[in-house]
Amino acid sequence: MWRLICFFLLFSSTVLAQNKPLLFNVDDLPQTLMSNPGAQINFTGHIGIPLFSQIHVSAGSTGADLYDIFADDGANINSRIQETMRDMDSRDYFSVNQQWEIISLGWKLDKKNYLSTGVYQEMDAFVYFPKDPAILANEGNSNYLNEPFYFDDVSFTGEIMTVYHLGINHKFDKRLTVGARAKFYSGIFNAESTGNTGRFTTYTTPNGRNVYRHEVVDVDVLINTSGFAPLKDEEGMTVEQATAELLSRSFFGGNVGFGLDLGLSYILDEQFILSGSVQDLGAVFQRKEVENYRYFGAYETSGIEPLFPDLDENDEAIPYWDIFEDEVDRNLRDQTTNQSYTTWRPIKANFAMEYGFGPAFLPCHYLSVKKVRYMNLLGMQLSGVKRPKGFVYAFTTYWDRKINENQRFKLSYSLDDYSLTNIGLMYTRTFNKFNVYLAANNLLAFPNLAKAHSASVQLGMQLIFNN
Amino acid sequence: MKFLSFFLTKSTSLIAISCLFLGCAKDIDLSQREDITLSPDLQVDLLIYNIDQSQFQNPNTGNLKTRISDTVRLEFLDDDYIQKDLSSVDFYFRHINTFPREIESEIRFLSESNAEQFTVNYTIKPGANGNPVTTEQYELIEEDRINLVRRSIKMVVELEVQPGTSAFEGELDFASKGFFSFEF
Repeated sequence: MWRLICFFLLFSSTVLAQNKPLLFNVDDLPQTLMSNPGAQINFTGHIGIPLFSQIHVSAGSTGADLYDIFADDGANINSRIQETMRDMDSRDYFSVNQQWEIISLGWKLDKKNYLSTGVYQEMDAFVYFPKDPAILANEGNSNYLNEPFYFDDVSFTGEIMTVYHLGINHKFDKRLTVGARAKFYSGIFNAESTGNTGRFTTYTTPNGRNVYRHEVVDVDVLINTSGFAPLKDEEGMTVEQATAELLSRSFFGGNVGFGLDLGLSYILDEQFILSGSVQDLGAVFQRKEVENYRYFGAYETSGIEPLFPDLDENDEAIPYWDIFEDEVDRNLRDQTTNQSYTTWRPIKANFAMEYGFGPAFLPCHYLSVKKVRYMNLLGMQLSGVKRPKGFVYAFTTYWDRKINENQRFKLSYSLDDYSLTNIGLMYTRTFNKFNVYLAANNLLAFPNLAKAHSASVQLGMQLIFNN
Repeated sequence: MKFLSFFLTKSTSLIAISCLFLGCAKDIDLSQREDITLSPDLQVDLLIYNIDQSQFQNPNTGNLKTRISDTVRLEFLDDDYIQKDLSSVDFYFRHINTFPREIESEIRFLSESNAEQFTVNYTIKPGANGNPVTTEQYELIEEDRINLVRRSIKMVVELEVQPGTSAFEGELDFASKGFFSFEF
């Protein structure tokens, strides 16, 4: 048992991720299988209402909120922007994630196995604040002499895709449930730029040739895109046309990839349950409509040097500027290529421990193995997402309360990069077979979203069968 | 138990609905986005040279040529960001002189058709071998005259050696930069 705990903790320290914590381990909801295919479940079949079984939107910014920039306090907005940019650092980030379940269904194959499948569309964007380039653009180099501006700060990923999936949830024995979900990714759009290098510095040179020396060192900035080139080339393309073009790639028309979700849950004793999962262990192979933009090189200058006289041996004016420009172009180069590349999906992982109390007994069903359920669950969950500069963690504690057979809520408190006061609430209700659920994070911020660093909402409706 | 269920149901619904439907952004004014500008101040090196008496010699006769000049095109002055967004420039020119004579420096900015836009004239103080003397000159072009910079494309540097009795030997070192302020 403790080996299992150690394994979880070890795994958690290397790969952990934030991912809709309010829907994790909610055994009444089929969506729990999307975050842990090995979750304990408490239903025998489900059919999502097409397009409405799950709508998920989350957005966050660790460094600034709307109020920081647009406060209606009479101060100059540009001063606020400057101050905010100075306060942020290059590990601050902006993120947006959206998922839209198109089809979702599942059924019990036998007493031990539950098969689930479906299709969803996902958009994920994660942008680190490019502090140095942003300050260079906003303030210039004058206040930052002898201080390098690092191009390493440029780091972002963005993708839109359709995901087709098929998962199995297998009750191994009365304690252990395991699960796996195979995913087929159909990429619609991708843009990424990570692992960039280089710096630009303006040095003061009291003993040099000029007042300053401008130095660009080891610049290597690469931006990979797929699905962007056709949109860029189509001049005058309307939003509707661009949307139609993007949607046409949803159905196996774009770049493809494969992934896997793995998960398990283990009943330590009657009341303690351990669970963990890893999602999106996979990659997308960007082969179609690829364009890569690369900027690289090194150069330094202290200015243009006229030679006196201004005519060369052929009595022609010396083209100093052209010579300078050629030299810059030879040393600082840009390239546009069409090389395929592979993008790894942002791996997400979850680990949770929960303690149940207040037992209740389920209606008897020949396909249902789980006999006892608890009206209350106290739990803690560690989660995170792998991003270009490391893992983004969140730690959540929760109280999961079954009000009665048809209603349930989950109240959570999370510590994450965005906030120390992140309180979330999930509520689900079933009317006969028809289930609706609603979950939202960072509730305290909702009365004034301008001061919120993050917010997330999940909602959906479906038919859930228990007999 | 029934009361507890009822209470939990109602309070949960109330909190969820209140939070979601009251979700709004307050105390902000998004119309300020129209006032957002980028205002970088850039320090940029311009021209440099280091010349000695050989540059002042007539190559044919070997005699002292008292007036020399050279012209450098500054093509970036024609770029969009200069034409639309430049708000001021503070030029800085510095000569370090070991020639034992005064030298008149004339820095002229010309348009494509060689029409003079503005000029900066000053006298470079005499120095001596082993005793370089520095002469500095600033020229601030603010918004009211910024079109002069926008119309310029060539920078002409001219030097005129002033009469004197001492031997004309030494070095003249020139540095220049611009402090360009933009508002995008």
